[in-house]
Amino acid sequence: MATDIVIATDLWEGDDECVVTAWLASDGANVSEGALIAEIMTAKVQYEVIAPATGTLSIVKAQDEVAAKGDVIGSIS
Amino acid sequence: MENERKLTIARAMAEATAQEMRIDPRVFVMGEDIGELGGVFGNTRGLLEEFGKQRVRDTPISETGFIGAAVGAAQDGMKPVVELMFVDFFGVCFDAIYNLMAKNTYFSGGNFTVPMVLMTSTGGGYSDAGQHSQCLYGSFAHLPGMKVVSPSNAYDAKGLMTAAMRDPNPVIYMYHKGLQGMGWLGTEAGAINHVPEEAYEVEIGKAAIAREGRDVTIVSIAQGVHHGLKAAKTLAEQGISAEVVDLRSLVPLDRETIRASVAKTGRLIVVDEDYHSYGVSGEIIATVTETNLADLKAPPKRIAYPDVPIPFARVMEQYCLPNADKIVMAAREVCQAPIPA
Repeated sequence: MATDIVIATDLWEGDDECVVTAWLASDGANVSEGALIAEIMTAKVQYEVIAPATGTLSIVKAQDEVAAKGDVIGSIS
Repeated sequence: MENERKLTIARAMAEATAQEMRIDPRVFVMGEDIGELGGVFGNTRGLLEEFGKQRVRDTPISETGFIGAAVGAAQDGMKPVVELMFVDFFGVCFDAIYNLMAKNTYFSGGNFTVPMVLMTSTGGGYSDAGQHSQCLYGSFAHLPGMKVVSPSNAYDAKGLMTAAMRDPNPVIYMYHKGLQGMGWLGTEAGAINHVPEEAYEVEIGKAAIAREGRDVTIVSIAQGVHHGLKAAKTLAEQGISAEVVDLRSLVPLDRETIRASVAKTGRLIVVDEDYHSYGVSGEIIATVTETNLADLKAPPKRIAYPDVPIPFARVMEQYCLPNADKIVMAAREVCQAPIPA
């Protein structure tokens, strides 16, 4: 079963979109739950994205793509 | 890919600094917004939390004061890592940098060393105008007494940072803003690569072959390496095999690697985001022509920043910057028009 990687809705106030500034794991790589796997940014502030599960990473939103709160940027299966 | 561990250059620099601070109590960090904010370009994130305000010091906007203080601390046995937020701000503090930091070892007849690292951000491309966008590689590399390095990827960034902190000489550590992995400056995917967790050094003064090729050598540093790699990919589709040399260090300059590459390819293109005249690009070309002129099958070319202050307007700035398309054009030219024997 795949676990979605979702932009948390409580990271910043308001409904501003963010940008995926860096994937720190490759598409298809094995990642461990709790590992830092990506960075996202809004209003010049970066937030860390932590792997919600252990498994194989599948990237949905590539580097430099825009995402909104609640969006799925990848999944782990 | 079980053990993949990709980092941005910003994270790689912070990790190298933290690891050195854990084993060497003489290392401390000083600069504007490097503490609570973690650095405007992210390269000191996490240090204040781990090491506290004694060793991670936010300074007032007084580069002359804190860089001068770092020189004194270094001569007194400490190993300061200081940040000049933008290299463009060098004007106010150049007495501390160049009359003190770079020369005091010589002035004291070798009785003092000045083991400090001056980190500073370089580069443009995001419309921050002429006082926040320069590279000034040549300005620093021209002046004896300091080592000058600039990484193109996270692996080198960590290794060069560790080597810089352990070096008994002052090292200017220039990091390109466009490679830091900070989104508002654009993201260069090629700069984010695998970084071993344990500390290691990348030798200062040793260039790397970023891509092997046969027909033309593209020499560059930092962001220019990525332009060169993109151009090499396009050129490969057009039947031209380009070699990309990542200098990594300007002082000392790895002239051997440059000459060996040109001896193989016979053609040279230098890509430099610093100004065209009196700079790095001319030095690289002289490195080849002074001793290995006969290796060249075509006149060398340089793609550098035009000799004008950097424009704020986006279209004007983008027009001036080196890019992969300009390199491809130059490579096609040198490969199709060899000098007749």
